[in-house]
Amino acid sequence: MTADAFIFWFLSLITLGSALSVMLLANPVYSALSLVMTMVGISALFVTLGAYFIAGVQLIVYAGAVMVLFVMVLMLFDLRAELQAFSRGQISGALKLATVGALAGLIGGALLLSAGNVAEPSMAEAAKLPPDASKALGIVLFTRHIFGFEALGVLLLVIAIGTVALARAKGGTHAKH
Amino acid sequence: MPLGGVIFLAVFIALFGALLIVLARAAGGGLKTGTGVKFDPYECGIPGQEKRDTKISVKFYLTAILFILFDIEIIFMYPWAITFRDFIFSGQGLVVGIAMLVFLLIFIFGLFWEIKSKALEWD
Amino acid sequence: MGQDIFEIVVNGLKLIVIFLLMVQAVPILVWVERRGSAFIQNRLGPNRVGPLGLLQLLADAVKFLTKEDMLPNQAVRFLFYAAPVTALIPGVIAYCAIPLGTPISIEAFEMFGRSWGPYVFPMQGFDIGVGIVFVLGVSSLAAYTILMAGWGSGNKFSLMGALRASAQMISYELALGLSIVGIIMLYGTFNLTEMINAQQGALTYSAFGHQLAIPALPNWGLFYQPLGFILFFAATFAEANRLPFDLAEGEAELVAGFHTEYGGFKMLMFFIGEYAHMMIACGLVVTFFFGGYLVPYMTPEQVQSWVATWASSPNAVSAWTSVIHLLSYFVKFAFFMWFFIWVRWTLPRFRYDQLMDLGWKTMLPWALANTILTALVVYFAHTIK
Repeated sequence: MTADAFIFWFLSLITLGSALSVMLLANPVYSALSLVMTMVGISALFVTLGAYFIAGVQLIVYAGAVMVLFVMVLMLFDLRAELQAFSRGQISGALKLATVGALAGLIGGALLLSAGNVAEPSMAEAAKLPPDASKALGIVLFTRHIFGFEALGVLLLVIAIGTVALARAKGGTHAKH
Repeated sequence: MPLGGVIFLAVFIALFGALLIVLARAAGGGLKTGTGVKFDPYECGIPGQEKRDTKISVKFYLTAILFILFDIEIIFMYPWAITFRDFIFSGQGLVVGIAMLVFLLIFIFGLFWEIKSKALEWD
Repeated sequence: MGQDIFEIVVNGLKLIVIFLLMVQAVPILVWVERRGSAFIQNRLGPNRVGPLGLLQLLADAVKFLTKEDMLPNQAVRFLFYAAPVTALIPGVIAYCAIPLGTPISIEAFEMFGRSWGPYVFPMQGFDIGVGIVFVLGVSSLAAYTILMAGWGSGNKFSLMGALRASAQMISYELALGLSIVGIIMLYGTFNLTEMINAQQGALTYSAFGHQLAIPALPNWGLFYQPLGFILFFAATFAEANRLPFDLAEGEAELVAGFHTEYGGFKMLMFFIGEYAHMMIACGLVVTFFFGGYLVPYMTPEQVQSWVATWASSPNAVSAWTSVIHLLSYFVKFAFFMWFFIWVRWTLPRFRYDQLMDLGWKTMLPWALANTILTALVVYFAHTIK
């Protein structure tokens, strides 16, 4: 086995293992921390594909921002009530596993069905990527996808306004009177 | 591939840290656990009143979610920043510059709306 | 990590050496901090153990090692122990991506009956192509160790300290990320080595089809992005949880913040993590705004040809060139480390609402203004002839 293949399998093991433990661990804080680990693993897998900038974005946005919010909010709750409500009991465990199995079956089925239509990427094609792929990404983003880029700005603005409307202490929908 | 180095270093540091903790535990006379006052959570001179469900201001949540939004906007400026000079040299500088200016104006509008709506006030 | 076993072993050893140097630097920095604070406050500081109190480092290490390992009864055992260990990881990995000197090239040689090389070893832990994005991403993971420690301790002071620290870190990460957009635009790359190479020679502004050379000054990023430098450097103070932004451990309010329940070696590991963040901050400031490892007024080629006048073999020339650049980096780096300590013992602490106001309402708009201004200048400087 080559070193690259070893790194790939090692990272896949870590990513999938932590993704599994997101569901199987009883404590929500541990689940959230496992999800952080999953995000870091996915970011490392992007590096193995040569997509350095996307790997960095995955780290900054998902591992460094979205998951900080999750962990922070989970730490604010009284988790004992949640622990008793969700983690004990075989029915909930069986339901979790069934959901996971159904989702995995769906994704696997979709992959199998579409496998014929997708050309298999070869190492030679991957080697044709420009060495500075982040520049190529920028050029595509600001020529072909420029409208989507502007729409994203508006979308983020709408989300910001919606969040503040929900959560601010004075005058929001959850305001103290 | 540099990734091998990153993984190696992360594993090495984790093992190194775990070893240090085990060594320090042995040198300090083993792990001490118990239920006496000594093992209560720290408190300044009065009996501890620990509850897990300490109420925390919703401001922390608001800060975190606004951070995500602005962080995504900033991340989108990075590919623009490294290609802007190339665009200028290839004659598309004006179009790309105006596109980014519109994006930035939306950003600035959002930021000033947050400030004006007092969402960023801490009291 | 490399093509053959020699390269892999050397690269692995290099990583371990950088890590151990960072760990070793912490007691020395603590000593500098204590002596420096004493100097600033007109006291003596530690001066009893050994010459100038230098052996105090050793005494402290022994003291830390022999502290008893105590688990508070409300603590979550796994997180309580995992937090200090993970506190080391993001800081050290991010620092390893910063270039410290010119690469060392080694010619082909014979060993164990086969020929090896030639090799080129970069003077940095690993060269990730998108250096700055990688460093920002990895160091943003430090928020989790703080949250883990705060929640795992089972103490309300720790939890409040951790929440404050992480809210502060993410707030200033915005100003930090935005203040370097200008510098990325000027250099047109994410790669730290390429950024350093762009700062060679004397300061030369080229705009409107003309060139204005100022030979007295080196071509450092500082002279192109002065506002960016101030914003970036100020934001790194908040990222590293240092005074005047160390609200996370405001003694008057929160005892010691997220590490209230920690002692002994576990406490020391948080210390190392905090100092690692200072080192990343100083390394990045030097790389972006002060020419990185470059020797002022001399390009690496000039240094190399000067070394070649007295060094014997090509390997020695390459190695000595790298060492000279490493020293140049270290002098700049040490100045900014001292600056961190200087500021800590000079300025008072902010209040929490002032801290958040400064981050969101002052530094973020200014960083935006810096970005727009830089874009306008770059655009008109290149289009108007």
